Amino acid sequence: MIIPVRCFSCGRVIASDYVRFKDKMDKIRAENKREPTPEEISTTLDQLGVTRYCCRRMIISQADLLQEILPFD
Amino acid sequence: MSSIKILEEGDNWIRFLVEGISPAYANMLRRTLINDIPKLAISKVNFHHGEIRQGDDKVYSSSTSLFDEMIASRLGLIPLPTDLNMNFRDTCSCGGKGCSLCTVTYSLFAIGPKVVKSQDLIPVGDEKFSPVDKEIPIVELNERQAIMLEAEAWLGTAKEHARYQVTSGTSYKYHRELTVNKREPNIQRIIENAKKNIVKETENEVTFTTDYPNKYLAQLYRMDSLKVTEDDSKFVFYFETDGSLTPRQVLSYALNRLKTRLEKLRDSVPGE
Repeated sequence: MIIPVRCFSCGRVIASDYVRFKDKMDKIRAENKREPTPEEISTTLDQLGVTRYCCRRMIISQADLLQEILPFD
Repeated sequence: MSSIKILEEGDNWIRFLVEGISPAYANMLRRTLINDIPKLAISKVNFHHGEIRQGDDKVYSSSTSLFDEMIASRLGLIPLPTDLNMNFRDTCSCGGKGCSLCTVTYSLFAIGPKVVKSQDLIPVGDEKFSPVDKEIPIVELNERQAIMLEAEAWLGTAKEHARYQVTSGTSYKYHRELTVNKREPNIQRIIENAKKNIVKETENEVTFTTDYPNKYLAQLYRMDSLKVTEDDSKFVFYFETDGSLTPRQVLSYALNRLKTRLEKLRDSVPGE
């Protein structure tokens, strides 16, 4: 669906970090024409201050499906 | 006598050392930090239902891809800057009806196609109440949709609902000292990379503390000459806030709150 506002387990606000994370990943994809490596994903999350694994799974496992259902009212 | 020393702090996190308290008191402080700090959060949302007309006969539908309940829940979880001098609604002079001393009103109006973000949430009146984090997506609208709503925010504590939760990752651990012999291999590399963590260095031995996180310290646990000492009267606390209050505000409120609650308890014990 859409990214949850807070981490389910600890309550940290992760929605805005997810937007920044996605921008960074899109940038890596566009510049290098490949998928981001696990190391790149890990360092990006560290830079955003998402250090606990409960918050990291919120961002990593997110599937943006809201855009897919958007054309149907 | 107990004392607090702030080890490190950032805009929305803090790490501090509390000395001279019992584990029970440390847990009391942790629980107060988690669920007894007041915070402003949206608690009532009025949605506009029906057509929304804008400009030259453009008509938008007010039903969006997410249920109204879900949008209301997301609005509630957005951190709002909190003024701790505000009144709680149930003890306010207005008698719980809602006045400027206890309630902040917000409005949201957006037409598609657009990703509605927390920056679109406008406080009615004082600009200082606009959301701290501007980038939180609330809902996405297509070109036939629009959203119009009015919301009321008031103070509450996390005992009541998770939207009032200010802190996250609230934790504490014992102050721990790791002493190793200087003849251990690779010890020089650890000393160079963990200068902040060194408590004492003699000719033969070096003592580290785990008060500051450092990945190099993990290597110490594999050494044969390691001696670990823990002190159950010194605690290293860590917590983050969501931006509605600064870590120092949260800490000082929590300490005052603990004091008043303990005093109340002492006063109500009979036969003192």
